[in-house]
Amino acid sequence: MITRSTRFRPWVWSAVVALMTVGLVACGSGTQDSDSTSGGTQSGGVTLTLTSITDAKVGWAPLIAAYKKVAPNVTIKASYAPTDQLQTALRAQLGAGNAPDLFAAWPGNGSAMSIQQLAPAGLVADVSDQSWIKQVPEGLKPLLGASGKTYMWSSCVAPIGVIYNKRVFQDAGISSPPKTWDELLADADKIKQAGKVPFAVGNQTPWITQLLPYAIAPSTAFAQDPNLAQDMLDNKKSFENSGWHTVFERYMELYRRGLFNKSPNGTTYEQTQQLVGSGKAAMAVQVIATMPPFLAAAKDKSDLGTFPFPAAQSADQLQIPAGVCAGLAASANSKHVEEAKKFIDWLGRPENMATFAKATFSIPLVGADSADVDPVLKPFTPFLASNKTVPFMDQQWPNAKVQPAHFAGIQELVAGQTDVPGLLKQLDEAYDQK
Amino acid sequence: VTIDVIGRAAVEPVRRRRARRAGSPALWFAAPALGIYALIVIYPSLAGAAYAFTDWSGIGAAHWVGLDNFKQLFTDDQSFGSLVNTIKLTVFVVIVQNSIGLLLALGVHTLIKSRNVLRTVFFAPAVLSPIVLAFLWKYMFNPAPDAGLNALLGFLGLDFLQQNWLGDPSVALWAIGITVVWQFTGYSMVIFLAALQGVPRELEEAAELDGAGRLQRFRHVILPLIAPAVTINLTLSTIGGLKLFDQVFAITNGGPGYSTETLSTLIYKQAFVFGQFGYSTAVALVLTLLVAALALLQLRYLQSREVTY
Repeated sequence: MITRSTRFRPWVWSAVVALMTVGLVACGSGTQDSDSTSGGTQSGGVTLTLTSITDAKVGWAPLIAAYKKVAPNVTIKASYAPTDQLQTALRAQLGAGNAPDLFAAWPGNGSAMSIQQLAPAGLVADVSDQSWIKQVPEGLKPLLGASGKTYMWSSCVAPIGVIYNKRVFQDAGISSPPKTWDELLADADKIKQAGKVPFAVGNQTPWITQLLPYAIAPSTAFAQDPNLAQDMLDNKKSFENSGWHTVFERYMELYRRGLFNKSPNGTTYEQTQQLVGSGKAAMAVQVIATMPPFLAAAKDKSDLGTFPFPAAQSADQLQIPAGVCAGLAASANSKHVEEAKKFIDWLGRPENMATFAKATFSIPLVGADSADVDPVLKPFTPFLASNKTVPFMDQQWPNAKVQPAHFAGIQELVAGQTDVPGLLKQLDEAYDQK
Repeated sequence: VTIDVIGRAAVEPVRRRRARRAGSPALWFAAPALGIYALIVIYPSLAGAAYAFTDWSGIGAAHWVGLDNFKQLFTDDQSFGSLVNTIKLTVFVVIVQNSIGLLLALGVHTLIKSRNVLRTVFFAPAVLSPIVLAFLWKYMFNPAPDAGLNALLGFLGLDFLQQNWLGDPSVALWAIGITVVWQFTGYSMVIFLAALQGVPRELEEAAELDGAGRLQRFRHVILPLIAPAVTINLTLSTIGGLKLFDQVFAITNGGPGYSTETLSTLIYKQAFVFGQFGYSTAVALVLTLLVAALALLQLRYLQSREVTY
């Protein structure tokens, strides 16, 4: 039964409406607050927001602290997230028009957050007129922008090579790292006979699948045809109709010889760190910048070393994969785009590039000779100096679909669900999509 | 039938009077809630669904492409594979989770001393985050014979059951199924248990006096009485299975190859990895319709089997 006291009267309605209005205003002011932190002014200064990958935090922290001394009125608020989460979040923010002033961007093409996907959409600020760009090696410059302009900063080049356990090599009677493909196979066989796993392969973590093919391709597919990436873009070559089949055949040669750990598809990246660190496995083909977790897993840090993956038949023909690191771009729609560009210009100084590169175990893009690179990178610097490097292949693929198709395809290859021709066909299909 | 008609006739005037008096204030009362619901649920859902007919990339302008996205969904092997995987996983989870959940509920419904502890233990995984559990199980599914689940099986002398859990395409989907069942069986158990506690003891005792055995009592007395719980559990686990994302994403990310890709991970990848928000929305729309249709059909069927005494 409804009594008088529970009936709604006009004043109750006004109260409800008033409360809702207060609620909405509260929400509104919340947005305003976050606006002011992302771009507003604080006591006459400017606050710039910066979002980057977790692995780069060690590089950003000292640089941001140093910039406070250079530009005291600029405060940089940094936040970090793992790569895949960051890419997702940034793309959503870019779509919604509330991206940070400065954010991580990836060189070349091939992923949804790569600079050649962002620049044509007008989302990143043009920094072509900055002086540091002149010092970037010619071959790498196009990867930092699109259609002849530069849109992002990157500090370094990250080579892919072999992280190996010296003790396992010694125990198997190997005195120095292999220099040719045949030596590699012979050494791997020795390691296997000594009861150890030659290669720790963690294909369960998707991005790991690409490392071995990338290590093999520069000395095979790209040695046959140095312009392969461009030829593929021009539709003159394809995965099927190029040296890529050699890449995957060599991959399968290693697998069929039993040189991988048991069940590579069920093994994770983290498990490979344990395998190599603990000496159960001898080698992991990796981006050298991933050295820290391997060192953390090692009983004795001096057990671990690096060498270039010897994919060529002779040492002087060897070329290595070296990709420009993820870097930083300024949002074109930021209220403080000029301040953000000034920060990027400052980052371009050789000493700042060196600081960042050293902290992230990679080789500085500018002034590599003068900078004291980490010993684990020493085996790779001669290849950069003599231009015997090939950029990471996905940085020159035309869309964001080839790379995931490559990840899944390698897993299928190892699982026996496809063969080399099948994989090449899948990759060509992904490549030809819009 | 006669009784029913008379009964209804007698009730009707009273109900009508009450409806007239209470009707309009009740609707007014719901208006603010309905308004907010429309604003934050219905409007965004419909506005979002419109993207299914565009080629929107997440940034920039969207162009109308009609039904192209839906054509792609039904002709693309990968999408079709995801649909098949989703259905396989759902069937597995619904059957195994509810069977074990029912057995556990029957077990802890007895008078054994540790029943309260056991109830808590079995329910515990349900309160944990699926992501935390996924990482835990990823460790358990280490393929090395001397680690995780394989080590346990080896210790028990069950070496023949050791698997390359996440690396073998024919095993990986079921491995994910195991983690889901492990997590949510306790949840099913609690719902069954609540229903079991509502079964009047005198009915069971009467059946026992009439000479019904344990199985007969379960089949003819208990099961019909807990039918509403069966309906709820089957419906919830079907919906959960069809929407499964966290576990797949964290454990295999759809791999090896595409062997554990579900509709939910496909939606995520198409949108956030490939930047095909239009196509992704189309898949999401199909999934929504599928879940709604299956859930409704199942609910109708199961409710028609429910009884009350």
